[in-house]
Amino acid sequence: MTGSKTPPPAKTVDEGLERGIAGLTEERIRRIIRRVLAGETGARLKAYVDTCIHCGLCSEACHFFLSRDRDPAYSPVGKVKQTLWEILRRDGRVSPDFIKEARIIASTHCNLCKRCAMYCPFGIDVAYLMLVVRRICHLLGVTPLYIQDTAHSHAATLNQMWVKDDEWIDTLMWQEEEARGEIPDLRIPLEKEGADILYSVIGPEPKFQAQLIYQAAVILHVAGVDWTMPATPGWDNSDMAMFVGDNELMGRLKRAHFETAARLRVNRIVMGECGHAFRSVYDVGNRWLGWSMPPIPIVHAIDFYHELLEEGRIRVARRFEEPVTLHDPCNVVRGGGLHEKARAVIRRTCAQLIEMEPNREHNYCCCAGGGVINCGPPYKKHRVESNRVKAEQIAAAKLKGAKVVITPCHNCHSGIEDIIHHYELGVETRFLGDILYQVMEKP
Amino acid sequence: MNELYRLATGPLLWAAFAVFVGGSLYRLLELFLLARRRERFLFTYFSLRYGLRSIAHWVVPFAATNWRRHPALTAVTFAFHLCLLLTPIFLLAHIVLWEEAWNVSWPALPDDWAIGMSFVVIGGCLFFFARRRVVPEVAYVTSASDYGILLLTAAPFVTGVIAYLQWFDVRLFTVLHVLSGEAMLVAVPFTRIRHMLFAPLTRAYMGSEFGAVRHARDW
Amino acid sequence: MKRLAATVLTAVALAVFGGMGVRSQEEMKQVSSDPFPRPQRPPAVFLHDAHNAKAGIEACNECHHVYEDGKRREEESSEDRRCADCHGLADEGGRPGLRKAYHRNCRGCHLERRQGPIVCGECHRRS
Repeated sequence: MTGSKTPPPAKTVDEGLERGIAGLTEERIRRIIRRVLAGETGARLKAYVDTCIHCGLCSEACHFFLSRDRDPAYSPVGKVKQTLWEILRRDGRVSPDFIKEARIIASTHCNLCKRCAMYCPFGIDVAYLMLVVRRICHLLGVTPLYIQDTAHSHAATLNQMWVKDDEWIDTLMWQEEEARGEIPDLRIPLEKEGADILYSVIGPEPKFQAQLIYQAAVILHVAGVDWTMPATPGWDNSDMAMFVGDNELMGRLKRAHFETAARLRVNRIVMGECGHAFRSVYDVGNRWLGWSMPPIPIVHAIDFYHELLEEGRIRVARRFEEPVTLHDPCNVVRGGGLHEKARAVIRRTCAQLIEMEPNREHNYCCCAGGGVINCGPPYKKHRVESNRVKAEQIAAAKLKGAKVVITPCHNCHSGIEDIIHHYELGVETRFLGDILYQVMEKP
Repeated sequence: MNELYRLATGPLLWAAFAVFVGGSLYRLLELFLLARRRERFLFTYFSLRYGLRSIAHWVVPFAATNWRRHPALTAVTFAFHLCLLLTPIFLLAHIVLWEEAWNVSWPALPDDWAIGMSFVVIGGCLFFFARRRVVPEVAYVTSASDYGILLLTAAPFVTGVIAYLQWFDVRLFTVLHVLSGEAMLVAVPFTRIRHMLFAPLTRAYMGSEFGAVRHARDW
Repeated sequence: MKRLAATVLTAVALAVFGGMGVRSQEEMKQVSSDPFPRPQRPPAVFLHDAHNAKAGIEACNECHHVYEDGKRREEESSEDRRCADCHGLADEGGRPGLRKAYHRNCRGCHLERRQGPIVCGECHRRS
């Protein structure tokens, strides 16, 4: 009755976890747990744990629960039970193996999408509780290898992908050169002090999606935007530190990002189509630095495209013909309320939008965000299998005619691509910028 | 039994109300001070407007998406909570005691209604009990304390109904009714029945974050 | 007239019908709930003579009291009147409403003497 139906995923071998727990003692675990609980948590943790009436109503909010045949171990409250409740009940007296399991649950069985906060009658923030668990595991040095590597990269280079300082500049110059083949007077302005806008991206864009920088440059150039990119570290708005539980590193990253914008004296930061970076810059990292809202206005790409189209600075030559459907990313929709603007952009750029069900704030998570996809190959199978509902949701949209899934978020984009392949859905996924670049009027 | 009745309706009742009111205030104050000490930012983000907006969507039956997904549970839980709060306050027999002790009174429910509402509460407890046994995701997170809370909640109503219907020994069950009611009041600040105190706060906070920062609905 | 208009409190109702004709006391088995518009409980069981014998009550005005200006008049008694003649449904100044008066008179005494019924269902018995 109370057991989990599905056996735990086939023994994952993750060196980050194995090595992490190898040196752990129960005494150290207890000390760190107490440090976090006594020093870093407070009214929220207390109220959430004390208020939860164990009703299970959060379960159906979770794509893991729904996709894994309603296995109670995957319900949001089920994950809290296996991790935080145990830690509290045993007053921190837990074993290294327990910490390993707790890390797997908190970091790979939850995307921190906060859909469950909309389904809990009390508005209990399970994502926050999972972050507390992640924080404890981080301080204990138990972190999945792949995402820890990205965090190390952040620490060493201030970007997520070990992009070296000169490689960054090289890549921008390379994309400028490419784009000048299409628009001869296009520039990617570097270090332009006093520009209106700083355009920032995530590490993977220069690393292996450089065409996105090309496209953005075309859009910004055609719209006549006064913009710049930094030639120094601080250009990367992404943040895996936030997801491993390394808040101090998160603070360093966000400070570097904001200070770069401040140094260039820009009015606003416009960011590419990334959800977690938006969360980090708009909602989480700024708070760590003591800013209730971002010190420099943050504009997500959806919002910016919307502005350019509404103001007529970008005109559509010919709308995208194939019927599209839209995946609402949690971090910019549940986290930023950009769902109607995304639809407005699609109505202007595409011939036909077919809605997924459910949609807007109620859309199912991609199962890649929250750092889950960044935990790497050991968890990939589990991740795609844990989002069968997403596949069904896309398949239903496809039945209604959708051929393209627009996913205005990097994590969602990769996660949905994996789902499309795994479930052989036969649709394509595109960024909103891909569509805009394709349909816009160019000189 | 006379002595026990006098004890139960005298000093114990005072004690129960004192613990209920004092304990509840203490819990709220404790939470407030904890927030001030460790998470002062909560006050920065707290928004009365969005907090109330969120609460409004959750205290109206079927106004939130998840209420609509669970029509039976929603009907039961609203009826249960409404009857749980209203019956003791508007029961004639209780008002008579208030009136005789403090010279205060207010309109009462007809006894037939009150008894019906008590059965709704008892039925609700049975429903929740069954849910804990039958629904896997609920069973998975159910612990002994959850059954304890159900028992604490049902007891004053079961004994009250028995006393009203005069089954068994009337005085015994009336005394048990008083004692179990006091136990429930005392339990509010010390068990998860305190969701009665905290739930409006957690809901309002989530509503504030969703409304003012995230520009999204949370229902 | 003046005396009638003064504060007069009466308690346990002797069912005195028509105002004058006093019924045989042996027949009294319950306190009439007739004055109440919508009585919620069964009338209180009350065996007048048996009660008095058991309780050792000899003076009528132990229950059938008369109050004047808020003071009890020890030498007077009110068994020739209905409780409702003095006690209205609601409190009037210091004079308790009928329900409160009954409860105080019966239950108050029981609690004081630690004898006799004190909880609802002991008097308001369902037959």
